[in-house]
Amino acid sequence: MIEIKINRKLFGANGELRLVFDTIIRRGEFVTIYGPSGAGKTSVLRMLAGLLKPDGGSIKVEDQVWFESGKVDLPPQQRNIGIVFQDYSLFPNMTVQGNLEFALSKGQSPEIIGELLSLMELENLRDKRPAVLSGGQQQRVALARALIRKPKLLLLDEPLSALDTAMQIKLQEYILRLHQQFNLTTILVSHDIAEVARLSKRVLLLEGGRVSKDGTPGEVLPLENFRNFIDGMIS
Amino acid sequence: MKLRMFLVLPLIVAGVINCHAQGKILVAAASDLRFALDSVVAVFKKKNPGTVEVTYGSSGKLFEQISNSAPFDMFFSADVEYPKLLKDKKLILSDIYIYGVGRIVIWSKKVDPSKEGMKSLLDPSVNKVAIANPAHAPYGKRAVEALLHYKFMEAVKPKLVLGENISQTAQFITTGAADIGIVAYSLALSPNMQREGGKYYLIPENTHNRLEQAVVITQHAKGNDLAQTFLTFVKSDEAKKVLGHFGFK
Amino acid sequence: MFDFEPFYLTFKLALATTLILFIVGIPLAYFLAFNRSPWKVLLEAVVGLPLVLPPSVLGFYLLLAFSPQNVVGKFLNDYFDVRLVFTFPGLVIASVIYSLPFMIQPVQSGFSMVPRSLVETAYTLGKNKFTVLTRVLMPNMKAALISGCVLSFAHTIGEFGIVLMVGGNIPHETRVISVVIYDEVEAMNYTQANVYSSILLIFSFLVLVSVYLVNRRALKVHYQS
Repeated sequence: MIEIKINRKLFGANGELRLVFDTIIRRGEFVTIYGPSGAGKTSVLRMLAGLLKPDGGSIKVEDQVWFESGKVDLPPQQRNIGIVFQDYSLFPNMTVQGNLEFALSKGQSPEIIGELLSLMELENLRDKRPAVLSGGQQQRVALARALIRKPKLLLLDEPLSALDTAMQIKLQEYILRLHQQFNLTTILVSHDIAEVARLSKRVLLLEGGRVSKDGTPGEVLPLENFRNFIDGMIS
Repeated sequence: MKLRMFLVLPLIVAGVINCHAQGKILVAAASDLRFALDSVVAVFKKKNPGTVEVTYGSSGKLFEQISNSAPFDMFFSADVEYPKLLKDKKLILSDIYIYGVGRIVIWSKKVDPSKEGMKSLLDPSVNKVAIANPAHAPYGKRAVEALLHYKFMEAVKPKLVLGENISQTAQFITTGAADIGIVAYSLALSPNMQREGGKYYLIPENTHNRLEQAVVITQHAKGNDLAQTFLTFVKSDEAKKVLGHFGFK
Repeated sequence: MFDFEPFYLTFKLALATTLILFIVGIPLAYFLAFNRSPWKVLLEAVVGLPLVLPPSVLGFYLLLAFSPQNVVGKFLNDYFDVRLVFTFPGLVIASVIYSLPFMIQPVQSGFSMVPRSLVETAYTLGKNKFTVLTRVLMPNMKAALISGCVLSFAHTIGEFGIVLMVGGNIPHETRVISVVIYDEVEAMNYTQANVYSSILLIFSFLVLVSVYLVNRRALKVHYQS
């Protein structure tokens, strides 16, 4: 179980914004943070990852305290998380295999690499450098890499928005597959309604610096768009 | 990979070349001695083992360096004052030995000082007059004295170009950077300068202070016999003849 | 009469200086690239000083500092029997100071050009700062590193004013090629001066060409497989 109670002042195009994010996430849940740009979605992920310091509050992940204002602030190295950025952030100087090997923690058996390579259907690409891979392939590598260390929390920051629709659908399948296989607690940031509806059972709407709605996709997502989506699915 | 080899090889060779020579002295010498002393050393080498290396510069600069523990074993100054100063600082081993008296000449390719004498400095075609920097070059000091004696200073002052040492002064004139200048007699007599096709006029001795030039062995040479050997040679008739060839009396 | 030694001396000096600058410069450039302290500005200004100061000013202060007559030089001389004026080691130190910005600035720039997300991802994969430096940052800024090395190397070869002040013109110790050329010109041995100068010019050109070739090849291999 993950208890998050954080706040931070954000500076955006619209001036100052006080971000308050309070929520509890159960183990294995797949949660999406949805909202307009500038709402602070990425900042929330970064604070969870330890890349950004909250002004106040706490983050407790199962029995570990990751952040407690004024007392504890674990660096990213010590929080066992996996993160996938929009630009994939694959290390250009390493092959696919190299990227995955790099992720291994000290003394960890490399078996997991083979597992993930086959799960993501990347075996043929293991000796290739990121520069020659397509966007979809790179994203699969990024996902695989994020999972090597069997993280407690998987954070996905709009990972598919740079891909075309066909690719997006394919990658969503992979994400689902991974979630089922490893039962990872996952937080996805996305502004794509279809994606949100497809992948997660719970959506947090981040608006004006706070979680204004918390429920199923049907409850939270803007009604008209959702209806269109459902209609689209039926037809 | 090949690039790395290329880098390492010269280092190895340099190490091999840098083996220590038997008996070696490092001599600091005023620039006016460049050819005269080279010749003396060449003659010395024929009969004596050991290496004599010379570094030339302006007497003042070399004095400063020696005062700051530059590793010179002997100092041939273009005057007697700097050696005396070293003596005061207790930095010398030997006595001060005057190896010769220097003279100054006017040298030019543009005008003919051998015909016009001192007046060549005032020739209308002259734009720049080179002398050594009197602040630290004895030859520069004497040049200024001569100019004052002839009361040419007013006329020449705006055209003055100062050389770092007497060698650089000569180089200014031979390259045409300056049209005319006052340099050391010893340089004017040297093959390199003779080759340049200029003419010179020996400035009368009585127009400036006597340019007694002295040599000393420094503290750095402690325990190095070669320094004394070389000094003895410099005092010999043979060396005197060589120096005389370059105008030193 | 042709003497190879000044070339080796010059080469040795440039190589030693570049190696030291590489080792010392990387941590410094790292600090300047990533640290947010307000003192950073002062350090950047100090690092940039050799770019702005005439070599003679730098040489003068180094001479004062190293001279056995003054505090630092005396200390080194009395307790370590180390002399920094008119010696090769002294010249190396002077060169390192003089060429510092030529290593630091390209490398600092290189650090800030590596996408921040690469560094952050590596942190989330549990890697400490040193691992990130050696396995993520440096391999992805090869051009900057090479630039820093080439510029420092070339800059040291071209040094003259500082060399003359701090090194003097001591055969086998500090008589580097720039000093030799100056000397030959003074002695009016123009042919000699010409020969030395031409060799230096050709050599420098070849070094630059080969380094840029290596750089291009490195980048090609880097991005394909």
